[in-house]
Amino acid sequence: MGATRHFGRVAAVALVLAAALAGCGDDGASGPVTLRYSWWGNAERAELMQKAIDLFQSKNPDIKVTPSFQEFEAYWQKMATETAGGNAPDVLQMDFAYLREYADRGALYDLSEQESNLELGDLLEGLEGAGEVDGSRYGVPVGANTWGYVYNPALFAQAGVAAPRVGWSWDDYRAALRQITERTGVHGGGNYIGSYYNLELQLRQEGGLLYTEDGRLGFDRDRLAKFFQEGVDLAEAGSVLPVEKGVQIKPSFALELDLIAGDLGWDNFTARYAAKAKARLELGPVPGGDERASGQYLKPAMMLSLSRRTEHPEAAAELVSFMVNDPEVGKVFGANRGLPPTNAQRAAAQLEGPLAAVAAYEDAEKARFGPTPPAPPKGAGSLEQAFIRIAEELLYERIGVDEAVDQFFTEADETLGS
Amino acid sequence: MTRADTRPPDVVARRASTRGRLPGDGVAGYLFLSPWILGIVVLTLGPMLTSLYLSFTDYDLFGSPRWIGLDNYERMFSDTRWVNSLKVTALYVVLAVPVKLAAALAVAVLLDNRRGGQGFYRAAFYGPSLIGGSVSIAIVWKVVFSDDSVVDRLLRSVGVDTGGWAGNPDFSVPMLVLLAVWQLGAPMVIFLAGLKQVPRDLYEAAEVDGASRWRRFRSITLPMISPVVFFNLVLEVINAFQVFTSAYVVGGPNGQPAGSTLFYTVYLFDRGFGDYRMGYASAMAWMLLLGVGLVTVFLFRTARGWVHYSGDAR
Repeated sequence: MGATRHFGRVAAVALVLAAALAGCGDDGASGPVTLRYSWWGNAERAELMQKAIDLFQSKNPDIKVTPSFQEFEAYWQKMATETAGGNAPDVLQMDFAYLREYADRGALYDLSEQESNLELGDLLEGLEGAGEVDGSRYGVPVGANTWGYVYNPALFAQAGVAAPRVGWSWDDYRAALRQITERTGVHGGGNYIGSYYNLELQLRQEGGLLYTEDGRLGFDRDRLAKFFQEGVDLAEAGSVLPVEKGVQIKPSFALELDLIAGDLGWDNFTARYAAKAKARLELGPVPGGDERASGQYLKPAMMLSLSRRTEHPEAAAELVSFMVNDPEVGKVFGANRGLPPTNAQRAAAQLEGPLAAVAAYEDAEKARFGPTPPAPPKGAGSLEQAFIRIAEELLYERIGVDEAVDQFFTEADETLGS
Repeated sequence: MTRADTRPPDVVARRASTRGRLPGDGVAGYLFLSPWILGIVVLTLGPMLTSLYLSFTDYDLFGSPRWIGLDNYERMFSDTRWVNSLKVTALYVVLAVPVKLAAALAVAVLLDNRRGGQGFYRAAFYGPSLIGGSVSIAIVWKVVFSDDSVVDRLLRSVGVDTGGWAGNPDFSVPMLVLLAVWQLGAPMVIFLAGLKQVPRDLYEAAEVDGASRWRRFRSITLPMISPVVFFNLVLEVINAFQVFTSAYVVGGPNGQPAGSTLFYTVYLFDRGFGDYRMGYASAMAWMLLLGVGLVTVFLFRTARGWVHYSGDAR
C-alpha cells in the first residue's frame, strides 16, 4: 500500500529528527562544571547578581554558573514543580518560611558535609544557626533584616506627639496613631492586623514564640482574638489606613505613597520607601514597653541552599561561600538582599543614605534583640497567607472576630497537622 | 483551557461531504489529523489520566502520592473556601454570559446593515477580543476601576461613591463581568454570520404585513438564529466557568478583596501550586469538569424547546 510506504518515510524522518535533538544534550563530563543557580527578585537584582556571578567565574574559571530568576510567588511555584520533577537547580535561593518544608521533604543537601568548602565563621551574631533544621545545615543566610518601626517625624511633630522612644508601650502606640489621625488628617498607621509579624513581635515580648520548638502554634485562640480585636478597634477609630485603600495600592506600600504617618515592617524596606516617598522617613524603636528587650530578632532575609540532587556539591558550596563572604560581592549588592550577612561584607558594602540608617538602626538596637527562632514548621508560608486573607475578611466585616479566629485555627490544624 | 472551535456548527457541517469519498481518503485524513492526535495523546491525555489518579490521593509534589479514596471529594463540601469559590464563579457565569451575549447580539444587529464603514466598526468591536486574555489588559482594568481613577471620579461626580471597584467586594465581580463584556468580539462575529443567513424575503414579507421592528426581531431574527445563539451560549458558559487570568491579576491567589474574586480556577491553582496539595487540586479539576458537563447537558436538554434548526420545519 502506497500510504503505508509513505508513513514509513515520515516515521524515518521523525526518527532522524529525534536523534538530532537528543544530540543537543549534555556533552559529557569533560570541560568546566556547570551550576544552575535560581533566585527570586526583579531586573535590578538580576543586574547585580550577574556582576557577582562574573566575579565568581573570573576567580573560578573551571566553574560556570547559569542563573535564572522569577518573582517571589512564581519562583516558589516553579521550584515546587522542578523539585518534584527531580530537576531542581544546584543552588537555590531559600526563604526562612520554606526552609523546613524543603528540608523535611528531603529536597536539600546537608551543607555540614562541605565544611572545607564553606566558610561560615564570619556570620553576624544571631545568624550562625539560622539555616539549621534539627541539627543539619540546609541554608546559609545571604542577607538579614529585622521587624522595625518606620515613621515620618514631621507628622509626629505636627501632631505634637513625642517621637517613638525606647520602651514606648503598645498603648502609647495606639494613642499616637489616634492623635496623629485626629490632628493631621493623615492616617496614623497601616494594616496592623494584616501583618503576621506584628503578632509575632508581641508574642516574643510576652516571652512566647510564633511557633513552638515542635512546630505548633505558639498562641491560643484567646490571644489571637485579642490581637484581631485590637486591629478592628484601630480600624473603627480610623487610626489606620482603610483596608479597601490598602488593597488597591498594591503592590505599592502606603509609606511609599505618603498615605500614613508610620508603620511596622522590615527595616531594610526603608530604602525602598525612601526612594519614592516625599517625606523624610526614620527608623525608630518598636513599641513594647520594655527598655531592655524589644522582642525583635535578626531574621535571615534570604538564604542559599543546595539541591540534594546536585552533582557538584563542592563547586556549589564554593559558590555559596563566595556569595556570603566575598567583600566585593557585599559591595555589589549593598543591601539589596537585606543587610549583608557577614562582618566582612557589611564593612565593604559602603552603605549610604537610608541604607546606612538601617545598618545604624540594627547596631543601635542589637543589644535588645532576642535569639533568632527555629525555622518555621512546614506549611508556614501557606499559613501566613491564610492569616493575611482572614485578617482582610475581618476588616471588610465579612466575618467577625470569633469566626476569624475559628477559621485560622481550622486552617492551622490542617496545615500543621493536629 | 483553550477555546473550542468558534465556527458555528452549520458552517462546519457544510464543509464536509462536498465531494464523494475517494479511496485513501481515510489514511490522508488521519495523516492530517495526526498532529492533533499526537498532541492530545502525548500532551493532554496522559496528564488528564494522571490527574484523575491523583485526585484519589494525597500528593504534595515531593513525596509519592498516597491513595486516600474519595477523601478529597468529600472534603470539598466542608471546605468553606471551596463553597465560596463556587458561589463567586456561579455569580460570574450568571452575570457575564447573558450580558455579554446580549451586548454581542445588539452590536451584531447594529452592524448587520449595508451602510458604509461597517468593516471598520466590525474590526473596532473585535479588537478588544484579540488582546483580551492578556495580563496587561487585566492590570489596566484594575487601575481604571481603582480608587480615584477615571471610573471612580465619574461615578462620584454623579453621587455614587464605591471607594473604587477594585477594593469593594460588592463591585469586584461586576468589574470582571464588564471586562468580559468588553471582549464581545468572538460571539459578535458568529452572530453576524448567523444574521447574514436569515433570508431577506422573510423581513420583506413581515414589513408588508406591517410588523414593527421589534416584532420582526422577536418573530423572525431570534428563531432563525437560535442555533447560533445556542452555540454561543454553550461556548460562553464553558469559558466563563474557566475564567482565570483576569481574576488572578485583579485579586491574586487570595481572591482580594475579601475573597470576592476567589474564582474556582484561582482557588484550584492556589491549592495546587501555593499549598502543594496536588491531590486536592486534581479532585477540584475533575469536579469542575463534572459540573460544566452537567450544565452543558442541561443546556442541551432545554435547547429542544427553543432552538430551531432550519431543517426541522421542512
